[in-house]
Amino acid sequence: MANSGERAVEIRKPGVQATVQDYPGRSGMLRQGFFPSGAMDNVAMRAANLLVGNPQAAAGIEVTLGGFELRLDADATVAVCGARAEVTLDGQPLPIWVSRPAAAGTMLAIGVSPGPGFRQYVALSGGVDVPELFGSRATYTMGGLGGFQGRPLAPGDRLPLGAPSGDERARSFRESARPAYGREWRIEVMRGPQATPDFLTEADMAAFFDRSWPVDRNSNRTGIRLESYQFAWARDSGGVAGGHPSNILDNPYPVGAVNLNGDLPVILGPDGPTAGGFVVAATVVHGALWKLGQLRPVGDRVRFREVTPDEATELDRELAARLTADSLDNV
Amino acid sequence: MTATASSIVGNREAVRGHPTVTYRRAGDRALLVEYGAIDFDLTLNFFVLAVDAALRAEPVDGLVETAPGFRSMLVSYDPSALSAGELLDHLGRVHDGLPAEREMEIPSRLVRLPIAFDDSQSRLAVERYVRSIRSDAPNCDGGVNIDYIVRSNGFADREEFYQAVLATEQWTGFIGFFPGLPFMFPLDPRHVVVVPKYNPTRTWTAEGAVGIGGPCYAIYPVESAGGYQLFGRSLPVYDLHGRNEVFRDNPLLLRPGDRVAFHRVDEQELLSQWQDVQSDRYRYQIEVSPFDVGAYLASRAALAPAAEQRRQRREEAAARTPVP
Repeated sequence: MANSGERAVEIRKPGVQATVQDYPGRSGMLRQGFFPSGAMDNVAMRAANLLVGNPQAAAGIEVTLGGFELRLDADATVAVCGARAEVTLDGQPLPIWVSRPAAAGTMLAIGVSPGPGFRQYVALSGGVDVPELFGSRATYTMGGLGGFQGRPLAPGDRLPLGAPSGDERARSFRESARPAYGREWRIEVMRGPQATPDFLTEADMAAFFDRSWPVDRNSNRTGIRLESYQFAWARDSGGVAGGHPSNILDNPYPVGAVNLNGDLPVILGPDGPTAGGFVVAATVVHGALWKLGQLRPVGDRVRFREVTPDEATELDRELAARLTADSLDNV
Repeated sequence: MTATASSIVGNREAVRGHPTVTYRRAGDRALLVEYGAIDFDLTLNFFVLAVDAALRAEPVDGLVETAPGFRSMLVSYDPSALSAGELLDHLGRVHDGLPAEREMEIPSRLVRLPIAFDDSQSRLAVERYVRSIRSDAPNCDGGVNIDYIVRSNGFADREEFYQAVLATEQWTGFIGFFPGLPFMFPLDPRHVVVVPKYNPTRTWTAEGAVGIGGPCYAIYPVESAGGYQLFGRSLPVYDLHGRNEVFRDNPLLLRPGDRVAFHRVDEQELLSQWQDVQSDRYRYQIEVSPFDVGAYLASRAALAPAAEQRRQRREEAAARTPVP
């Protein structure tokens, strides 16, 4: 039984990896070597927060693949958004993208996701109230900081919840506002910073955009590995930085960088390295970053689509328009 | 819709003691600003740090953060408050306002750190690597990386390499990869050491390990993977828990523009200092002393012939040494 006044949940099964995350994670820390962390799929996380009456930035639980269970130690409204999975509250089905108030003692269970998609986001009314570190509650496991004790969740962990907003109802995130999931993803990018004309050839970039890249099993929050490909390169070698033409003097990486590690493209995730010595052929635009959280290793494929700055802004605008209370229906 | 076929969105000629500038798109919310040609020239890093300081001194709405690299800087912005064109204009004005490189003085601190060469934790990292990842790596011959560094640089023995590390201040060019990891470069051009990185990388490195990859030194802030050749151990450079007073205001010891001067201790002494750091009895030695770029350039020019001799010896040795 919880202490009087303290609302909490207890983790029973964390699954492959569950962490406390928020949106947009830590900003302003790149210069000290911290990538932002935060929900890898920020759209599902923000939608789940809207459903339980939280600010979109509130902290929730990022679940990988499913196979997750927690017990409410207080009354709370819960919602699960993201990869398709069977979700139950004390054995009663809870549709994904739907919120429902539940009483203290209720068990929330997420089955293993058959896909499409790879991660689910659990929002709880009041939000997970772990201490903020550098302006965020997000877990950064590589640095051992943030979230719950700087680590993935384990059975028996008790997560404190904040004060709920009071706006708690059973609601559904309208189907037309939900993002589309599949096995073949189109991810919007802008070329560069190191692409044509000085690092890669036009033919290299054409191949980069034409190919359907398989998602490798060694993919996680630090990066999504794709498949090696022999680029022709616009230069013979990396010169002072190293022998391979993909080598450059160490430089900062943007979030969503599609890094060429030698011949292997890797999309840097929210826990990635902030700097390194490999070219970045393209960068995932802000409005498409959420897709990285739903790429399923082994089976899913990625095609990159080049967009203009205006198209990137339009993607952001569309997402912002969908992520409002207007997308919620009472059920 | 057609998209631009180049990632370069602007250039600037070299003017008045300033390097060329290349502006590259890094997605819809950042620009990568590169200085000079692709060259291992520390003056490019001095210029990066001067631009970084000027941008922080004159904040503009919509500029979210800057992250320096060796000869580049990532400038993140919010396109709803600041367009890429406006950001380019702002960067241009900041570049215009800077003095010539030789007239620059960069805020800097001299940080003195102990180093124990050939320590047991670095040996343990090599031993684990040989046992579980690659048994025939030429950089791990004899259970250490040090002999490989010595061989690929044409040093007579380990001692000559150690003296190269101790004889120069190391310039912290930027922080990155992991939280608090300093990328450091020797200020004395006669003491440049260059060595290839691990292939494949290591899965374990001790906290405080000191390594070198390419021309760059690093101190590992946390127990982690890594690809640099290890040759010693120093003190903690990162502590979130603020066990030592030096970490109370900021969990990172080093910042860009700091100079690190290593002094030699034996491993027993290092371990005792390590305990003193954690019990807050050790006091890190830090002096604020600005860095005069003009004086550096003059000394670099005077040392150039000796540095060139050293470079030739190093490159001959490197040509004879297998790459991992």
